[in-house]
Amino acid sequence: MKKFLALILAAIMLLTLVPAMADSPVEITMLLEGCNVTDDAAVLEKLNEYLANKIGVTLKPTWGTWGNFDQLAQNAVNTGSDEYDIMFTCSWTANEYAPYAKKGAYVRLDDPEDNLLEEYGAELKNVLPELLFEGAATEGPDGEKGIYAVPGFKDFATMNTWDVNVTLLEKYGYTLEDVEKAGFYGWADIFKTVKEGEEKDGSIFYPFIFEGAVVERYVTGTPIITGDANGLLSYYMNTEDVSVPGAYGNVIFNKFATPEFEKFARQMREYYQAGYIDPAIAIGETATDTWRNAQNSANYLISSEVSLYGYEYTTSEARGIQVAYVMTTDAPYIDNTSVQGAMMAISANSAHPVEAMKFLALLNTDPYVMTLLNYGVEGIHYTLNAEGEVEFNADARATYSPWTNGVGNVTLLPPQKGQGADFQQRFAEFYAGSKKLPIYGFTFDSKPVETEIAAIANIKEAYMLSLCTGAVDVDTALPELLTKLDEAGIQKVVDEANTQLKAFLGE
Amino acid sequence: MTTITKKNPHPFRLNMVSRKTETLFHLILLLFALACIIPFIFVIIISFSSEDSIRQIGYSFTPVTWSLDAYHQVFNLGDALWRSYFNSFFITIVGTLLSVTMCVMYAYPLFRKDYKFRGFFSFLSFFTMIFGGGLIPTYIICKNLLGMSNNYAALIVPMLVSPFNIIIMRTFFQTSVPFDLIEAATIDGSGEYNTLVRIILPIVKPGIATVALLTALGYWNEWFLCLMYVTKRELFPLQYLLMEMQRNAEFLARNSSMIGASGASAIATLPSQTMRMAVVVFIVLPIACAYPFFQRYVVAGLTIGSVKG
Amino acid sequence: MTVNKPVSLRHSRSGSKTFWLTTMMLPATIWLLLIRYLPMFGIMMSFLDYKLPTRKVPFPLNLLESPWVGLKNFQFLFTSESLTMIRNTIGYNALWIVLGLLISVSFAIMMSELTRKFLAKTYQTMMFFPYFLSWVVVSYFLFAFLDPTNGMIVRAQRAAGVNVIDWYNSPGYWPYILTICSMWKNTGYSTVLYLSAITGIDRSQYEAAAVDGATKWQQMIHITLPHLKPMIIILLIMNIGKIFNADFGLFWSVPMNSAPLFPVTQVVDTYVYRAYTSTGNVGMSTAAGFLQNLVGFICIMIANGVVRRLDADSSLF
Repeated sequence: MKKFLALILAAIMLLTLVPAMADSPVEITMLLEGCNVTDDAAVLEKLNEYLANKIGVTLKPTWGTWGNFDQLAQNAVNTGSDEYDIMFTCSWTANEYAPYAKKGAYVRLDDPEDNLLEEYGAELKNVLPELLFEGAATEGPDGEKGIYAVPGFKDFATMNTWDVNVTLLEKYGYTLEDVEKAGFYGWADIFKTVKEGEEKDGSIFYPFIFEGAVVERYVTGTPIITGDANGLLSYYMNTEDVSVPGAYGNVIFNKFATPEFEKFARQMREYYQAGYIDPAIAIGETATDTWRNAQNSANYLISSEVSLYGYEYTTSEARGIQVAYVMTTDAPYIDNTSVQGAMMAISANSAHPVEAMKFLALLNTDPYVMTLLNYGVEGIHYTLNAEGEVEFNADARATYSPWTNGVGNVTLLPPQKGQGADFQQRFAEFYAGSKKLPIYGFTFDSKPVETEIAAIANIKEAYMLSLCTGAVDVDTALPELLTKLDEAGIQKVVDEANTQLKAFLGE
Repeated sequence: MTTITKKNPHPFRLNMVSRKTETLFHLILLLFALACIIPFIFVIIISFSSEDSIRQIGYSFTPVTWSLDAYHQVFNLGDALWRSYFNSFFITIVGTLLSVTMCVMYAYPLFRKDYKFRGFFSFLSFFTMIFGGGLIPTYIICKNLLGMSNNYAALIVPMLVSPFNIIIMRTFFQTSVPFDLIEAATIDGSGEYNTLVRIILPIVKPGIATVALLTALGYWNEWFLCLMYVTKRELFPLQYLLMEMQRNAEFLARNSSMIGASGASAIATLPSQTMRMAVVVFIVLPIACAYPFFQRYVVAGLTIGSVKG
Repeated sequence: MTVNKPVSLRHSRSGSKTFWLTTMMLPATIWLLLIRYLPMFGIMMSFLDYKLPTRKVPFPLNLLESPWVGLKNFQFLFTSESLTMIRNTIGYNALWIVLGLLISVSFAIMMSELTRKFLAKTYQTMMFFPYFLSWVVVSYFLFAFLDPTNGMIVRAQRAAGVNVIDWYNSPGYWPYILTICSMWKNTGYSTVLYLSAITGIDRSQYEAAAVDGATKWQQMIHITLPHLKPMIIILLIMNIGKIFNADFGLFWSVPMNSAPLFPVTQVVDTYVYRAYTSTGNVGMSTAAGFLQNLVGFICIMIANGVVRRLDADSSLF
């Protein structure tokens, strides 16, 4: 039977093989994420001329968009296609870096037997911070840790912040300090005053509008554990100093079974019942739009944001109010999720891994290539002003705007208008002050408990957002959730995670 | 029987339901038809609303301020818009012609009780209505074996045959073609193709029009094939253009906290909500205009009565 | 003329008839074999721990390298949580098949009886509009009424001083809302099928019946319905085949994926989607699809068997 099956499958394989063609210079195909590119002719003409001379390759990009990238990447990976030599990858979309590396979808770049990184990308080690490579190391199909993608040099530390509408706050005689001092559990009075004040004209005002799916992390100080796609697990940071373990040490918990979570949920319920929280952020499909709309129209008092260096300026300008960000940890923290936020991997089926590596090395070290691919052609897509800042030509930019962070090393780019000539320097200094989490580098492999996770994901979805926004009664919903999770085997998942964490820490 | 005079405003009142009943029918159908059209009117209203209005009070029948911005944005798509319009028409017309031809040719022998392999071929098509190989194997066969990648074929061929339509078409043959007609034609020495084209097809026109309508709607609404097989923008149909905007927005909304603040600025550069509604209007209008063409056969047949041999 | 000759003529005729009729089936048959049957080996993936294809072991040989895991990929469908989704999927489908049949057949008959064909056409055109609006757009429309702050119903309730309903937090209302939405969207589609089947009926039959003194009602019972029977039965059988599948957009977008509504909105397709996005396991989603198809297949075979006993001509095959 098996032989017969093999015969049939082999016949199908022969039918579906596509003959590979040799060409010179070598054409490298690349799949990018989040691009809005409708006309790349001018850029490619310049770029390919340069690349052909310099490293003997030409580039053929496929401009994936937010909407189609996941599907394109899944198609390519699951079918073992050699369509793309280079593929964007990261730890937060459906295109998960760690699971795909483990399944063998990507070339190991620091393979001891064929070290592409050392041979063709030695400069990368000089340009990119060492900690990026640390975070990019993940388990391959052989169970060994290795680097399976070139990490992007961008805002690589996470800043969970409360986004405060200072203008509105001061209108009612409060200061930013009051908000900071009172903390999440003490905002009731401020909310009450502002809500009553804003509703004098008979309208409805909600002072507290945030992203319900993640806000619990801000309050309880729990980072995302890479590989825990459903947010079931909690690791408690030391929010006073994120580089050392918190009160519980390096242990992972069932997110919903801790006293911290219950306290948080009860407080949310109080705020919700008092009318401080917009009910629309408790509804799955309207949550994000409501949150972003409130922010953009400055129709909130306190909100949540994963902030960036220099973001106060941008948002204050855009919203026409004074915005301040209150960090919920002592410093921006470096975790896998932020470091693996944008990377470029070489497909295991690529016919030209060497050329692909050469190109990636150049892309991340040569300002000309990076700027050209990211910002377009000088004189067409942008011009440089007297300060050396980029000013975009809006029309041309509308037809050519890749996702900046998704391309590569953003520190090679010239500053944009308003950022100042020394932007990159300040940027680098700021992130140099960020701290590594004690479990930095740990990735949870959920494969062994997949069946449990599939059921648990459905249970969690039915409660999580409602509990985290206060939309349901904690006394009935939380015990119900915990019972169901137990029945579905959450303990097995938590135990597996702790076993893996112990092994990672070498305990 | 009533005498029909030429003055009678409703000469066909003969053998019709009573006026009272007909009024009731009108009432029920009108209410339902209105319920069907109101959401579309709502879409039109949103497309003329200002973004600010949506931000303030959400989607509403009575926006705070009106605006033509959405349509300016759509027309700013320029070539991309007209190109995708062309693609949609091209795919729909070619796809429907091919698909209906294949459907009729497959359904006709299935209806013939005297066809030897009727059972076998019925099952052959029916089975695929239920079971499929799944996304990955189909993708590989279509792309690597049949070369469907970045071409019109990729947008047409994978939907060519619909077992559902075949069964519907066979049922139309069954309900409207008397079997003696075929026997008579055979005795007259008419070949099988000749019988089908000359004698049978005119009788099942309403059925063909219906299947063609369903097929055309299917092609016009299709976007998933484009997502799977096409990355070249020149080939995008209009529906995919809309879906791309929709999916971009949805993705950014879901991953907002992951992309962080740069996600917020990415959302800001997305096509606006109102623009997406304007594109919906652009998608619906042509097919709403083409609809009466198909309908001529479906409804008009009611008064004429079918042509019987 | 000998006695034998017509027989042999008949024989060769029937041979060539079979030949010509078979040639008609060729184009679609080739398509079915290539695009539907050839990929079917993929069903194997339901029972495998899928290993990615590589240069050395390209697709589909990687299927042989993938370890056989038996029914493990099906396990996640049978947990304490799955009762709700199975009940919902089958319950809604059963209700909607019956309701949909009643509504669209009566609409088709009503429309065929209208004297003003222009109005009939207009109604029919309007009934097709829902087909073009995606569920996402429909969900915006509903939200304009039910939005907890600005919704039109909510505002009216607030203005009237009555209890404001928190729609997206109250599962009780949603079976009705979903049913209305489903009927709203699909009625136009099936009505046109029945209407064109009515069009195929020979009008002289009605005239003859009228002459014999049959009322409109009797004509409907004795002429229209029997003529519609094959179409009704075929659509019924095909819908029964989808009894374990649900319209994902309806159950996901229309209730805005609101968590408290899950007890009445969780169906097989949404459950599998959430499981798939949380694990990325292709085997599991293939397994779920296979199981849905298998249930559909069995249901169709039973339904078809019953129909074949009662009325062989109307059966599917």
